[in-house]
Amino acid sequence: MGKVIACYKWVPDEADIKINSDHTIDLSKAKWKISDYDKNAIEAAVQAAQVLEGKAVSLTFGGANAKSSLKDALSRGPDEACWINSDLASEADGFVTATVLAAAVRKMEDVSLVICAEGASDTYARQITPRLGAELDWPVITSVSNISINGNTIRAERQLDDCIQTVEAELPAVISVLPEVNDAPLPSLKAVIAASKKPVTELGDKDLGITDLTSKTRVQSQKAYVMIRKNIIFTEGDALDQVKELVGNLKKEGIL
Amino acid sequence: MSAEEKFDVIIIGAGPAGSACAYILARAGKNVLMVERGSSPGSKNVTGGRLYTYALEMVEPGLYKQAPLQRRVVREQIMMLGENSAVNIDYVNYDFGEDVPQSYTVLRAPFDEWFANEAEKQGAFVASGILVDGLIEENGKIVGIKAGEDEMYADVVVAADGVNSFIAQKAGLRPDIPAHTLGIGVKEIIELPDEIIAARFNLQGDQGAAKVAIGCSDGIAGGAFIYTNKGSISLGLVLNPEQVGQKGRSIQEILQDFKMHPAILPLLEGGKTVEYGAHLVPEQGYQGVPSRLYRDGLLVVGDAAGFVINTGTIIRGIDLAIISGAAAANAILNSIEGTHAGPLYMEELQKLALLPTMKMFAGWHSIISIPRMYKEYPELANDVMRFMFTVDGQVPEKMSKAMMNIAKRHVAVKQMLGDGWKLFKSV
Ligand SMILES: Cc1cc2nc3c(=O)[nH]c(=O)nc-3n(C[C@H](O)[C@H](O)[C@H](O)COP(=O)(O)OP(=O)(O)OC[C@H]3O[C@@H](n4cnc5c(N)ncnc54)[C@H](O)[C@@H]3O)c2cc1C
Repeated sequence: MGKVIACYKWVPDEADIKINSDHTIDLSKAKWKISDYDKNAIEAAVQAAQVLEGKAVSLTFGGANAKSSLKDALSRGPDEACWINSDLASEADGFVTATVLAAAVRKMEDVSLVICAEGASDTYARQITPRLGAELDWPVITSVSNISINGNTIRAERQLDDCIQTVEAELPAVISVLPEVNDAPLPSLKAVIAASKKPVTELGDKDLGITDLTSKTRVQSQKAYVMIRKNIIFTEGDALDQVKELVGNLKKEGIL
Repeated sequence: MSAEEKFDVIIIGAGPAGSACAYILARAGKNVLMVERGSSPGSKNVTGGRLYTYALEMVEPGLYKQAPLQRRVVREQIMMLGENSAVNIDYVNYDFGEDVPQSYTVLRAPFDEWFANEAEKQGAFVASGILVDGLIEENGKIVGIKAGEDEMYADVVVAADGVNSFIAQKAGLRPDIPAHTLGIGVKEIIELPDEIIAARFNLQGDQGAAKVAIGCSDGIAGGAFIYTNKGSISLGLVLNPEQVGQKGRSIQEILQDFKMHPAILPLLEGGKTVEYGAHLVPEQGYQGVPSRLYRDGLLVVGDAAGFVINTGTIIRGIDLAIISGAAAANAILNSIEGTHAGPLYMEELQKLALLPTMKMFAGWHSIISIPRMYKEYPELANDVMRFMFTVDGQVPEKMSKAMMNIAKRHVAVKQMLGDGWKLFKSV
C-alpha cells in the first residue's frame, strides 16, 4: 500500500530568540526543534498510514544540525525517516524547498499522500504545500482540519474564516493541515526507545538530480519591529466618564 | 517480557548524578536507559554555579577538560552586608585551578546536556521528555519503572531524580519531606560583557570569582551567591521557605532588595537578566540523609539522597551528586546482575569519601540554624568596621569598651557565648 509522507522543518525555538538593541535577531543561544505545527502533520501522517495500511515516512530538508531531529520525529510514530542533508536549506526559499521535497517524494516511489503543516513556525510563508502539489502535479488541499480516507479518495474539511468547506480528491495528493486536525501526543517511553531502531535514509541535494537550486528570492534583512504605544491615560472625570472615554476610543480604533 | 523491554540498569533523572552513573555503567558495557522528564537534559535545571572538578576526574580522568565550564575560580569572597555598608573578605589564590583543578563556574543547562551526551557516547540510551511516574515491584523487589502506559524492566533502578525525590518516596525510603529541611533557591543569569566582569571582579582571562553574602535576607536564614561566568554572572539566594512565609515576604522581593544593595548594584549595573528560575535545596546536610539509601533493586543517589553540604560559605551538591552516581555505578558493576548492590553502594560511598565528608560537616547545620547569623552578626561586623575607620576629630572611645558596646547593641552576651560554644562544638 502507498506511503504517507510527513514533511517537517527543524527550526529555532522561538522562546530562545533574542532581539539585540539594534533590532537584529540573535539565534546563537536558541535550541532547535521540530516546528510545532509539523508535529500535527506527523501525527496526521501516522494516522493516515494506518488507514491506508502503508508506511508513514518523515521527511525533512535541513542542514547538518537537523540530524538531531530524526530521533524526535521517529518517536512520534513514523516507520522511517528521510533527511535531505544540505547546506542550502538555511537559505532556501519556497522554490528550492519545494523542488527538493518533490524530488525526494518522487525518489521514494509509491507515495499516496504528502502531509505538511500550513506553515513553518519560523517563517510561516505557506508556500510549500501549493508548490509541492504543482511540482508533482497532484491535487492540493490546504487548511485541513479533518481528514477521512476511503479507498483511494481523501475527504478533507477545510477550516475557512467563517465556514467549513469539505473537499474530496483522488490520491495521490498533497495536503496541509492546521493544528486543529489532531492533538499530537507526546511520545511515550517505548516510542522513544523504538525510534532509535527505525531506519533513516540520508541523502544530499546532489543525490536528487535537480539542476536548478538557486533561491528566487533573497532575504535582505530580518529585524524585530517596534510597536509604538499610544500611552494615553484617561484622567478626566470620574471612573464612569473614564470608562466611557476608553470605550469610545477603542471604538474609534476599530477594536470594539 | 521481551528483550526490548528490559535493560541492565534504568536511571531516573539526567542531572549530574544520573549522567555520572550512566557514563560509568555504559563504559563498562552495561545496557543502560536514562530517563529524563525535561525536553532535554538540563532544560529543567536552573541551579548552581560552581563545580569542584575532582568529581569529574573520578568518572574519567581528563573529562572535565571537554566540559562546557565557564571560569576557573581563583577568587573567593565573603560579604557581610549592613544596611548601607559591607564587609568584604577577599581571598585570591592564583594557584587554584592550575595543577589541582579545583572549581569552575558552570551553567547547568549546557553542562547537564553535555554530560548526558557523553554518557550517550559511551552507549547509554537517553530518553528525554519522559516522566517516570511509578516503580514496578515484584515480591518486594523493584524490577522496573512506569512512565504513563509504558512499563520498562531492569535489574537495578537508580533514583537520580533530585531533591524531593518522588521515586525515593514511592519506594518508601523517604517520608514526605517537611519544609524546614529544605531551602528554596532562586537564581538569575545576568548578561554582561566579559571586559566589564573582569574589571568589576578584578579578574583576568578565564579567571573567575565566587562571592557569597549574608546579611541580605531580612533576618531570614539564608544567603546569597554571585558567580562569574563567561559573558554573564549567576546571582541568587538560598532561603528558608518557612521563615520567608512567617515574614510575609516574597522571595522575589528579597532578591530584588539584594540586587539593589549599594554594594551589589554596581556589580550588576547595565546587565540584562536573561534567565530566572527557582529550585529546592536539601538543607540538613548529614542529618537529612535518609537512614536507608537502597532497597532490593533500587539505589538512591544525588539530591534524592540528600547529598548536599551547605556551610554558608560553600555549597556542594553537584560534586556529591557525581560521586554518588559513580558509587552506585561501581556497586552495580561489582554485584552480580545487581543483586545486593545496596550494601556495596554503601561501601562505595565510604570509599569515595562521600559519607565521611558529609559526617565531617554534620555540625554545620546547627550553625546555619543560629538565627543571629543572618542579621545581628553581619550588622555587628559592619559596626566594628565603622568604628575602626571613623575619624572625626573627636577623642575616640577606648577600643575594648567600644567593641563591647557594639556587641551588646546587637546580641546579648549570653547569646553570644552560647553561639560561640555552638560554633566551637560543631566545627
Ligand atoms: C540555587 C541553587 C544553587 C546551587 N548552587 C550550587 C553550587 O554552586 N555548587 C554545587 O555543587 N551545587 C549547588 N547546588 C546544588 C546542586 O544544584 C544539586 O545538588 C545538584 O544539581 C544535584 O544533582 P542531581 O543529579 O542529584 O539532581 P538534579 O540536578 O536535580 O537532577 C535531577 C534530574 O531528574 C529529573 N527528574 C526528576 N524527577 C523525574 C521523574 N520522575 N522522571 C524523570 N526525570 C525526573 C529532573 O528533571 C532533573 O533533570 C545549588 C542548588 C540550588 C537550588
